Amino acid sequence: MIIRIAALAALAVPCLLSAQVRASEAGTVSQMIDGTKITIEYSRPRARGRSTLFGTKAVHWNETWTPGANWATTLDVNKNVKLNGKPVAKGKYSVWMVVRQNGNWTVVLDPESHIYHMNPPDSSSTQVRIPVHVEAVPFTEVLTWSMPDIRMNGGTLAMQWERARVAMNVEVEPSLAMTLPSSDATPYLGRYKWVEKDSATAKDSVVSEVAITHESGTLRGRFTPEDKYLKKFALIRVAPDWLAVGVYDEKGDIYEVLKPDMVFEFARANGVITGFAVRDSDDNVWAKGTRIR
Amino acid sequence: MDENISLDALLTAVQFEATDTELAIESSITRRKFLGACSAGLTALLIPGPDAWAYGDVPHPSPRPGITGKNVLTKEQLGKTPKLIPLFDSVREIPEVLDGIRCNCGCTDAPVLRSLLSCYEGKGMARDCFICQGQARLAVRLHKEGKSLADIRTAIDAKFG
Repeated sequence: MIIRIAALAALAVPCLLSAQVRASEAGTVSQMIDGTKITIEYSRPRARGRSTLFGTKAVHWNETWTPGANWATTLDVNKNVKLNGKPVAKGKYSVWMVVRQNGNWTVVLDPESHIYHMNPPDSSSTQVRIPVHVEAVPFTEVLTWSMPDIRMNGGTLAMQWERARVAMNVEVEPSLAMTLPSSDATPYLGRYKWVEKDSATAKDSVVSEVAITHESGTLRGRFTPEDKYLKKFALIRVAPDWLAVGVYDEKGDIYEVLKPDMVFEFARANGVITGFAVRDSDDNVWAKGTRIR
Repeated sequence: MDENISLDALLTAVQFEATDTELAIESSITRRKFLGACSAGLTALLIPGPDAWAYGDVPHPSPRPGITGKNVLTKEQLGKTPKLIPLFDSVREIPEVLDGIRCNCGCTDAPVLRSLLSCYEGKGMARDCFICQGQARLAVRLHKEGKSLADIRTAIDAKFG
């Protein structure tokens, strides 16, 4: 009877979402990373006084369990990604976990996305199966998916319930190449006189120098005197001779690309770089550089 | 019109043409103020919403044959935003270009807005959208430089896509 009621209740979800108190309320976690959208949709079971869930009748050991409730939790990615290094093609999957008392669990992504939680899929070659480490964490009342860590090229996708936490490293396909071959980078290298107008005086009150170097495969710029915000910045090619500024964090990782905010448009004369105009999102030239050497 | 022209062919041909006079007119903020604006507010204003981030995969629309700029808002309709009158005037002059460009702010995902030109018609949503404004300014500039629609699309995708 309980199972039947639960099944009927779950089937009624679409029409009752706006006014129904549910034991496992619907939740969504969605994150955009460099144009890749990652979405987890799930129902969120609560512990409700149960101090132990894994290894009990709630979730048996060795069970293929959906980390959610009602209809299986789904993962939807609009572009190809990697989870813990395993390729996951763009699409929508139902998410399952083989829970074990000892050792790693296995995350199973099944291409059939609409499956009720009581009908876990059999193992098949179309599934993506990902071994995951389980760490012990403080008690979590409500099953929670999250992306607590975001980087330029990925992040961490985590599930946490009771005292278990499973985290997967997500890698997205980068929209821009941060590096440039030496042969492509060489024409830009050198020092440039940097001129910009001061809004108050309308004069060339800020004149400095920017040096462009090629380090660890990346074109980098540095102002003299040093600019407190940019310090050393990356120049990332968005089109031939158009390079956008990449801003580094304290660890030396690029965390933002200023496109369309700050794009260097380099100019050539007889194939040789002579200078650049820096244009903002409104296509205004707000600074320009002239090659010194 | 050859719409398959290579990116190289376009963008290696884009030359730095800002004269000192242009610079004096166009550049009115310091680097520090500019970067401050970027980090604080401008970037946020440019982000229309999570569903509008993947428009690089959507093809540009084909310009409608015989399209005109007669529906582009006029100076009389731009009373609250007089600074934008020159931009709207420029757009009105090249409807066949703007009608062939997808707007990267996501607005043209709505059925009533088929192209960047649409953003300058009707309710004139470009009045409040930095992406629409920036794309049109870039399109106008490159058109004046003699670039083809394919070139302009490629440049807009590179900068705004």
